[in-house]
Amino acid sequence: MTDLDLPAWSEPFVDVDPLRLARRMRIRGLNRAWAWGGSTGAGVRVGIIDSGLESSHPALRGRVTEKVAVEMVDGDPHVVPDELGDLFGHATACGGIILGLAPDVELVSIRVLGADLRGKGTAFAAGLEWAIEQRLDVVNLSLSSKSEALFPVFHGLVDEAYFHNVVLVSAANNVPAPSYPSLFSSVFSVAAHAQPDPLRFYYNPNPPVEFGAWGVDVPIAWKDGGNTVATGNSFAAPHIAGLAALILAKHRGLTPFELKAILAAVADNPRASKGRR
Amino acid sequence: MPEAELDAALAALIAAARRAAAAKQIQGDVEQRLLQSIVDATTSLFDAEASSIALFERDPDRLEYRVAAGAQGAGAIGLSVKPSQGIAGYVFSTGQALALSDVAHDPRFDRSVAERTGYVPRSIAAVPLFDEQGTVGVLQVLDKRDSASFSLRDMELLGVFAAQATAAISAARVQRDTGRLLHEVLGQIGPDLTAPQVEELVAAATRGLDADSESPFWQLVDSVSRLRAMSDRELTLVGEILDVVAKHAERTTRRA
Repeated sequence: MTDLDLPAWSEPFVDVDPLRLARRMRIRGLNRAWAWGGSTGAGVRVGIIDSGLESSHPALRGRVTEKVAVEMVDGDPHVVPDELGDLFGHATACGGIILGLAPDVELVSIRVLGADLRGKGTAFAAGLEWAIEQRLDVVNLSLSSKSEALFPVFHGLVDEAYFHNVVLVSAANNVPAPSYPSLFSSVFSVAAHAQPDPLRFYYNPNPPVEFGAWGVDVPIAWKDGGNTVATGNSFAAPHIAGLAALILAKHRGLTPFELKAILAAVADNPRASKGRR
Repeated sequence: MPEAELDAALAALIAAARRAAAAKQIQGDVEQRLLQSIVDATTSLFDAEASSIALFERDPDRLEYRVAAGAQGAGAIGLSVKPSQGIAGYVFSTGQALALSDVAHDPRFDRSVAERTGYVPRSIAAVPLFDEQGTVGVLQVLDKRDSASFSLRDMELLGVFAAQATAAISAARVQRDTGRLLHEVLGQIGPDLTAPQVEELVAAATRGLDADSESPFWQLVDSVSRLRAMSDRELTLVGEILDVVAKHAERTTRRA
């Protein structure tokens, strides 16, 4: 029951709590026009590790360039070409949000959720490893693993991604329990705020969750060519992934560390009165 | 949800918790009773049409709806769905909380499951239940009566309920396993004992395994209720005091 001592990670963004989000210290001289003005995300490859993209969905506008799936064979993960659509609609929702911000990115679908649930944490890790090997620019992770056994595996992969300039954007978990890889310091962990604006986001100076983006009543693409309206950190993360793609397309070669600093500098945090961070 | 209603709901929740603690002492399916008290409290807190808990079971892999509450909840009990199917399946598979609104207007929503329960919701919120091993089930709420969708605060609260449900499942399983073990051991060492005598010994040994009203969760609910009664100005003051305390604690830690 000690888990309950952990914070509720969307809390700073519920009413944009100025006690928690107001900042006096921020890097000056950067603005959004410099960061992503004129960018469409062209040339950037964004991986979506999830339920598999429905590439024919109108919201994805033919931008899905590759589809793979992780299949478990005798307990071992194998990355194979994927022909299935989206089992749940969720990956397609994330893809649609990213394209809404960065219309010219290439989407790479990495399906790790399927019928076989026995190795799902392992499949997730294998999908992440593949994405890093492919040197995708940005990878959206609107899923998490609770497996303590996989902690060192994810830890190693997240470091690998960081050292190879692969930006991992991870949805924080609203259930007060550890979840990986969103708790690792080098990922871009994201919780939801309720203001209906895809470009509005906050930097949270109080970790573990670092960014807050729109995730409440978000109109999303859903399976079988459909649409719906959804709430969850799952839909906040792709907003940050989309912005990251815009910035990377304009400023090739930025490291995840530099990208975080730019996002923090142009975030919508309220200005603080004297004495706050 | 308006503050006054939330306060009333939290009070109801505490009362439900006390009843749950008492119910735990009663013989029978402890887990079932606890989960039932959680969905009862969830339905009341959210003023929802229904809420339910589905637990993952193997051979074949499935999510089985174990308990439900609310005017529209009864149809779900006993239903099994594939763990790769629908909203519950997604939340179970990904470990991510999710809410959908406008569900009924979307013909592609997985209606087959909803229709089997006899109720197709307009909105749905679902959170995963985790224990140390991973996801064990899903807690779902259908249709708040006073709102077309679920807020961030709803999701956070639902997450806390999910943690309590998981604790209840674990506690009940420990209790059940302990009971089973005691039955076996007593059966071996005392073959002359009658069944009622074994029952009595087991009950005496497992009594007091939990003290639910003292659990961190219910203390947290108490604290949240008290915080909610404060004005914005008081809350700001508390925030500032906590800031000072945190800074002081940091300095103390550094010195230590």
